[in-house]
Amino acid sequence: MLIGTIIYALINSVILCLIAMGFNLTFGISGVANFAYGAFYILSAYTTWIMINSFHLPYFLSVIFSIIFTMALGALMYQVVLKRVRGQAISEVIATFAIGLSILELFRYFGFVGFEYNLPPFIDASVVIMGTYVDVQRIIIVIAGIILVLALWFFTHNTSLGLAFRGIAQDERTALTFGIDSDKIATLAVSIGAGFAAIAASVIIPLGTISPSDGYDILIKALAVCIIGGLGSTGGVIFASFLIGFAERFTDTFIGSHWTMIVSLAAILIVLIVKPSGLFGKQKELEERI
Amino acid sequence: MLEVKDLMVFFENALALNGLSLTVNKGEIVGIIGSNSAGKTTLMNTLSGLIIDMRIKEELRGGERISVYGKVLYKNKDITLTKPDERVKMGIVLSRERHPIFPESSVVENMKIAGYLRTKKEIQETMQYVFELFPGLTKYKKKRAGFLSGGEQQMLAIGMALIVRPEVLLLDEPLLGLSPMMQKSVVDAIRDLNKSIGITVILSEQFARPVLPMIDKGYVVENGMLTLSGTGQELMDNPEIKAAYFGV
Repeated sequence: MLIGTIIYALINSVILCLIAMGFNLTFGISGVANFAYGAFYILSAYTTWIMINSFHLPYFLSVIFSIIFTMALGALMYQVVLKRVRGQAISEVIATFAIGLSILELFRYFGFVGFEYNLPPFIDASVVIMGTYVDVQRIIIVIAGIILVLALWFFTHNTSLGLAFRGIAQDERTALTFGIDSDKIATLAVSIGAGFAAIAASVIIPLGTISPSDGYDILIKALAVCIIGGLGSTGGVIFASFLIGFAERFTDTFIGSHWTMIVSLAAILIVLIVKPSGLFGKQKELEERI
Repeated sequence: MLEVKDLMVFFENALALNGLSLTVNKGEIVGIIGSNSAGKTTLMNTLSGLIIDMRIKEELRGGERISVYGKVLYKNKDITLTKPDERVKMGIVLSRERHPIFPESSVVENMKIAGYLRTKKEIQETMQYVFELFPGLTKYKKKRAGFLSGGEQQMLAIGMALIVRPEVLLLDEPLLGLSPMMQKSVVDAIRDLNKSIGITVILSEQFARPVLPMIDKGYVVENGMLTLSGTGQELMDNPEIKAAYFGV
């Protein structure tokens, strides 16, 4: 049972990491806390569903389409709404949350609720790992998570656009003096963040059904991981998702499944009391020296 | 090459620059000398266009009203309202005051970030030159820039500006907070890059003593107004300058 718990805890951690990465990326680079993140996640799943069931596109193409569509929507949201309230944290949160709310509740209003709204697993099979049954979809999730983290690392360390991302994240005005256009980079950051949400949804949703209320859940999970890890820190996000992922699974197995829900919330509280900048928050020792 | 005509900058109703005019020719080192709050940084921000960006952001926020009057001409083109990233593409690059670097990235990464507009090959070539210009940086290539000393950070900041391959390099208080030794090596480097690659340099400083000997032309700014101008030697011989900046 212990090995089974550990395997599922690992998978759970990767799921959390996938969910939080896009939110963290957007916040880390542009400073925009994208509260429409959960809505983008659900929206991309519905887009895939509609493409498959109404337009009869192949599954793979539908997924690609929904990722691109979600990214375009993210960019549009920045250009149309966020650009005007840039730099005012509260307005950004209210604006993005309102957009997220409208997207999710519109789906509910138009009756997109029920068991028929689901996506099939990529490969419907399961394997036995050390005596535990694991379906292939969960293994695909782990692989996707690893690929995404590696791709993100490569992108931010080796491409000039990725390096510009890191520049903007550290000091916007200095980045500006090197000809890095902050609006363009922020648009891309919101768009790529939304793309990450879409990728996460594409691999995770096949485990269950699509439902508007999951959007809020996803947002809270992303927030929890990012706050605990320290907003804007990729290493922190990975660490925090493993922390919460394991804590949740172990609580589920050894204490009781109804306690799982409070794990991440309790973790937020503890971290905010003990170390408000998050476990891997910006280092104080690096503050300006004169 | 760069010409400023009757420049006036207001922050709300406070006048930061008042009727300022100056001319910079190609290949010159021009010094803007002035004490704190004289308007040096505002002038640098106006030349680099940062003030345009600040104005737009403040406008969105409903904050401070920034107004710019007068003209900034670059190669006989009016760039008064040109955005900073456009100006960088035109060849005007600013290194802001207090050695602006990206503290969490390594020295080499800092320069790669600065080279956003340049190709990988160009970045490599210029990086080579920067390490020749500042041999002190060579041993810190992989070190995080935030852990460098103030002087090393200033060298890096100048190096990062050079990576962009500017035609006009604006240096805002490059000697601020540096030891006399560091000041000397930074001054030598500025002279060197002006001589060897012919970059036009405009620098603002409150330490007149190390700067005056190397400049071709100097402008003394007080309370946003031009009070004196002349060649470096003329300024050095001026009794008022001697009294105010050399303590003689």
